[in-house]
Amino acid sequence: MYALPFAFYILSLIAYSIHFGRRTPSFGRAATTLLVAGALAHTFVIGMQTMEAGHVPFAGTTQAISTFVWLLALAYLYTEVTTEERGLGVFVMAIIVALQVLPAVQGPGVEPRSPVLEHPLFWTHVAALLGAYASFGLAAVIGITYVLQFKEIKAKHLVFFFNRLPSLQVLDVMNSRAVFIGWALLTVGLCAGALWVTDALAIAPADPRVRAMSFGDPKIFVALVTWAVYTFQLVARRLIGWRGRRSAYLSAVGFAIVLLNFVLVSYFLTDSHNFGA
Amino acid sequence: MHLLLVGASHRTAPVELRERLDFCSRGLDLAVRALAERQSAAEAVVVSTCNRAELYVACEDPTSAASDLLGFFSDFHQLPTAHIEPHLYSHLDQDAARHLFRVSSGLDSLVVGEPQILGQIKDAYGVATTAQSAGPLLNKLFHWAFGVGKRVRSETALSEGAVSVSFAAVSLAKKIFGNLSGRRVLVVGAGDMGKLTAVHLRAQGVATIVITSRTLAHAQDLANEVGGTVAPWDSLQEALLEADIVITCTGATTPILSKAEVKAAMPASRTRALFLIDIAVPRDVDPRAADIEQVFLYNIDDLQAIVRENLQKRGAEIGRAEQIIEEEVQKFASWHRSRDAVPTIVALRQHFEAVRKAELERLEPKMASLSPEARARVDEITRLLVEKLLLRPTEQLKKSGDISQHADAVTRLFALDQKDRGSSER
Repeated sequence: MYALPFAFYILSLIAYSIHFGRRTPSFGRAATTLLVAGALAHTFVIGMQTMEAGHVPFAGTTQAISTFVWLLALAYLYTEVTTEERGLGVFVMAIIVALQVLPAVQGPGVEPRSPVLEHPLFWTHVAALLGAYASFGLAAVIGITYVLQFKEIKAKHLVFFFNRLPSLQVLDVMNSRAVFIGWALLTVGLCAGALWVTDALAIAPADPRVRAMSFGDPKIFVALVTWAVYTFQLVARRLIGWRGRRSAYLSAVGFAIVLLNFVLVSYFLTDSHNFGA
Repeated sequence: MHLLLVGASHRTAPVELRERLDFCSRGLDLAVRALAERQSAAEAVVVSTCNRAELYVACEDPTSAASDLLGFFSDFHQLPTAHIEPHLYSHLDQDAARHLFRVSSGLDSLVVGEPQILGQIKDAYGVATTAQSAGPLLNKLFHWAFGVGKRVRSETALSEGAVSVSFAAVSLAKKIFGNLSGRRVLVVGAGDMGKLTAVHLRAQGVATIVITSRTLAHAQDLANEVGGTVAPWDSLQEALLEADIVITCTGATTPILSKAEVKAAMPASRTRALFLIDIAVPRDVDPRAADIEQVFLYNIDDLQAIVRENLQKRGAEIGRAEQIIEEEVQKFASWHRSRDAVPTIVALRQHFEAVRKAELERLEPKMASLSPEARARVDEITRLLVEKLLLRPTEQLKKSGDISQHADAVTRLFALDQKDRGSSER
């Protein structure tokens, strides 16, 4: 079921690459159209799963990744439409395609129903965190492109990115906005998660996953590290003038940790966050 | 109808002659009206810029028209023909179209790909339409040329990248700050290059331009010229703190801004980058200042290197641009050729219509008993029948490779050249 959005995403990535390389306007429009088609198909799939399971598919890691990809696609489309800049598309699509491989190969699976999962705090927790990760993904792409362009201008050798990306100032502002939105959602998500655990202990005290919720759990620990990194980025920006390149590096590091936590830790290390089938 | 171009440009004529051939000084509309009155020109457009003076006309006999256009150059500018003739070029039909397409794309410009030329051609065409001197052929040609100009600009990088030092500085500033409105510019020194760059930045809508110079009077002069304010020389350090873009162009023999001084302008509380454009020789800013985070330092050599690189890149796009132009020239030529079929097609239609009318007239007595509606129907049916019969041959004739031969055949087959055929058939 995930094959159709995946195919659209791949085609869109190809079109964005050609557009980035040759700057042919028609390929740019084609890329956006394909991405819209992919996002629509993806919306349809997620909608079907939601009707089937009674909630948005994000309990299992694979489904959560798919939902994250969907949010990232929407967030990017929003940025592209509001800024009229297509230069970031190829980078965002690379992440989208890379992550969507997992759901596309594994298939949607069956979303479990469980009273623990139907708690409103759980919903808030997962929705806020996926939104936060999508924002961070966008911020990381913006940060990377900032560094690429910064290096070109500093080196006085304006070969490639100069003609293809928005200005440093615009990238810096976009980066800090995306990080701020992500940080706010992350804070909400973590708080909702913490509150939910106390409720969940009352509803299902014997559930091993609920019992594994502690600061020592890899997933929770790394999430807190993520929060610390982004908090530092926001504070350093205001207080010690860490803007531009430093800020950009931090958002790239932050998102690397997010990916590590979201994919590797979820699949292999954590005992607490595994609600999939 | 032939398309003929006669003109002189920076490629063929020295600047002294181009100055004297300029049509704009006495009014382009005057020139185009005078040209349209000549017998040889059925339609006329005059293109005149500082790098070219060109006459585009539609004419029946290109050879006599060409010498008449030479005469027009000579009459209008009161110069002996022998003076002008060696510097003129003339192109016919698709060569003329190719020339105009190359001009409108910026390929024939002094600086390849410069953007103004398309606007200048549009203006020239505008004057001609107001003077009603452009007809079907030149209308089609010029609109086609505008399209080609746009196509070349959007599909190739021919017009991309700054090709002057001051534009290179402005485009860098845009890449660092995005929109330049609201940015503050500091000009240190009152050199010419500094002035030029400041003028370009002003055009981008910067908020303020502050000028400081060791000689206050020079600073004041420059401030008046570019619409800026003057700051005293000893407050340079404070001015640096305020500025986003700094242009230095003093005649000082030692650097006036050390790395430490630039560093002092970048406290942690500063939220903006600093773009230093050092166009002075010898340099005004210590090159090590470039090591400071969020400081971008470009000197005149760096900017010139960018200009050279951009010119090379434009050069590399010429082939692609020529390809597009050739494609469009072929399309235009085939449209132009198809126009040769028009008189034959008109004659053919008139002939068929005459036959139809004659037949209806002959049958008039037999149709007398019919109702008016029925008669109208008969008229309609015969008309449609003729239209349908003529549709295919019309298309084929326009598309034909050798229009004159086929037109000739049609003319002979239907005896279209016999004036009184209508009556003789009756």
